[in-house]
Amino acid sequence: MRFAYYPGCSARSTCAELNDATHLVASRLGLDLLQLESATCTGARELRAIDPAGFYALNVRILALAESHGLPLMTICNTCTLNVLDAHAAFVSDPELAASVNARLAEENLHYSGRTKISHFLWVLHEDIGEQRLRQQVVNPLTGLTVAAFYGCHITRPPGRYGFVDSRNNRALERLAEILGCLPIEYSGRTECCGFHTAAHDERVAIKLTGQHVLAAKTGGATAMVTPCPLCHTVLDSFQPEMEDDIDQKLDMPVLHLPQLVGLALGLSPEQLKIDRHMVPAGVLDSYAATASTGVK
Amino acid sequence: MTSTSPGDASLPAPPSVDGRRLGQAEQHDSLSARNSRLTPGDLLTVKVRRSEAPAGGDVYQDFQVPYQKWMRVLDALNWIAENAAADLAFRWFCGSKMCGTCAVRINGREVLACWEAVEPHMVIEPLRNLPVIRDLVVDRSRYEDKVASLEPWIERREPYTRFPEPLTHKQMKDASKALDCISCMCCYSACPVIGLGDLTDFAGPAPLVQLGQTALDPRNSQEKVRRSLELTGIFNCISCYKCEEVCPAHIPIVSGVIEPLKAKAAQLAPEMARHSFALRDIVARRGRVDPGELVLRVQGLRALGNLRRILRLLVRGKINPIKTFFGIRTAAATAARRLLGNRAGKP
Repeated sequence: MRFAYYPGCSARSTCAELNDATHLVASRLGLDLLQLESATCTGARELRAIDPAGFYALNVRILALAESHGLPLMTICNTCTLNVLDAHAAFVSDPELAASVNARLAEENLHYSGRTKISHFLWVLHEDIGEQRLRQQVVNPLTGLTVAAFYGCHITRPPGRYGFVDSRNNRALERLAEILGCLPIEYSGRTECCGFHTAAHDERVAIKLTGQHVLAAKTGGATAMVTPCPLCHTVLDSFQPEMEDDIDQKLDMPVLHLPQLVGLALGLSPEQLKIDRHMVPAGVLDSYAATASTGVK
Repeated sequence: MTSTSPGDASLPAPPSVDGRRLGQAEQHDSLSARNSRLTPGDLLTVKVRRSEAPAGGDVYQDFQVPYQKWMRVLDALNWIAENAAADLAFRWFCGSKMCGTCAVRINGREVLACWEAVEPHMVIEPLRNLPVIRDLVVDRSRYEDKVASLEPWIERREPYTRFPEPLTHKQMKDASKALDCISCMCCYSACPVIGLGDLTDFAGPAPLVQLGQTALDPRNSQEKVRRSLELTGIFNCISCYKCEEVCPAHIPIVSGVIEPLKAKAAQLAPEMARHSFALRDIVARRGRVDPGELVLRVQGLRALGNLRRILRLLVRGKINPIKTFFGIRTAAATAARRLLGNRAGKP
């Protein structure tokens, strides 16, 4: 299975460990990833509001790059996923927009015809790898590891578009955690927002909101949290000391990127998955990691 | 490598699974699935939040309500008022998804009581983020005052170019969606930023939709629109789409109202969108976001006040000053420069 792979900005900077873990886990799962090196940022939430033409140009270009290789596109960031989905939807429904974007892409011999299938890594795991293959690959079941799934927003909402159901009913992360041997917990934060998108100018919102979610995960008995989005990860992990100050309580909640949780169950070590690059130490997970005695590594 | 081969040919292709819909069936997430769980005569267990605890009890009062076919939450509330608690306060008028007065929260979700099928077990609570007057009735004046302060009307100083004035549906696309709003306050209750109270000056989704009805109308005075937008704190919207999830009128509140209003703000009051312009500029030069530069540009010297985090990020290699100050030219940068150029200008 081959995918054009778009890591996005975070996985190439603050969350570089996510990119590394994705490549490692993908190769274990038999996914062949062609990383789109010349792909740009999708514009986060800012570009789409203040410069729609620029937003469509950058995003359709990413879709065109995938199409030029004849490959489906795999993403690992929620916000990037929604941006390319939105751009694709606008492109196929507005021929005038499509023509004008293609005219700009023609300068570098690119053309988009609207055929690229877009899939986040979480969906690839369920749809393309499938439960049976995944179970077969789990050599180090994470038996008894209690995890709090944190979905974030942009791969479950807006509802009614792109096949999204009521986000509060989504169970894709919990189902995956169970396949890996974990015990997913129930808590109030699972489909809430981390507040990342206003954090650059006012991080108080992110700290207040996400502090509540991490606390709820802790109270609910989670040993770790897992998220499919590097933006959520940045808030959940890097801002955790500020959340602790804000609620005057220690949280000490390790936060894993989705491929890191999968990687642990596939027998990869925390060092290989660069879990030590996170702000919150994840030593508590060492007892769940594969050891020489389990015959894996 | 593991002993199992990843592409094990003996395994059949995975069954058709839609990762975006996992959980939909087990959560009975469709009207027919919900209705098929109940047959007439079943007893619904309903917990209603009262503003005062009945003698000695909890503020949540329990009721058992006999299910009738096609029963709505409003029917259950009416049954309770007629048969079990005549003093229960709740608000409704049209009963047909138009007046927007009957919104409540069922099991944590904002719904219109008149348009929501009952569930076997329901906790019914008043909307959040507005003061409770009694039981399920909330005081909407905070919202109404905010909307009034935004001057949600059309004002014209210039003479009409022609009569009737030329106007296309495309020009009215966004305003027209906002006009579907029934002011039910579901979105206002679901908004996590509004839930933080006075932490920000964010007006909230419902007032912004009301403003969008006229501010996104091209015939409006742009000077007045600018004045209104400056009172909205609109760039504090975290783009979580929680408002869209609960909107019974199915208004695309984020992408169809708040974003077009942000675009207006960027054009009429660019200082409000300083952060967005900084991001655009960084992407146009580098092809990607450099988090260090973004924070420095947006927060200025204030960013250096958070030395503890800066050190933390440096130690873990999460920020890279060399990259920030001497970023190298990449293929992505070339493409971004060509596609973004300097068209949108700077604030």
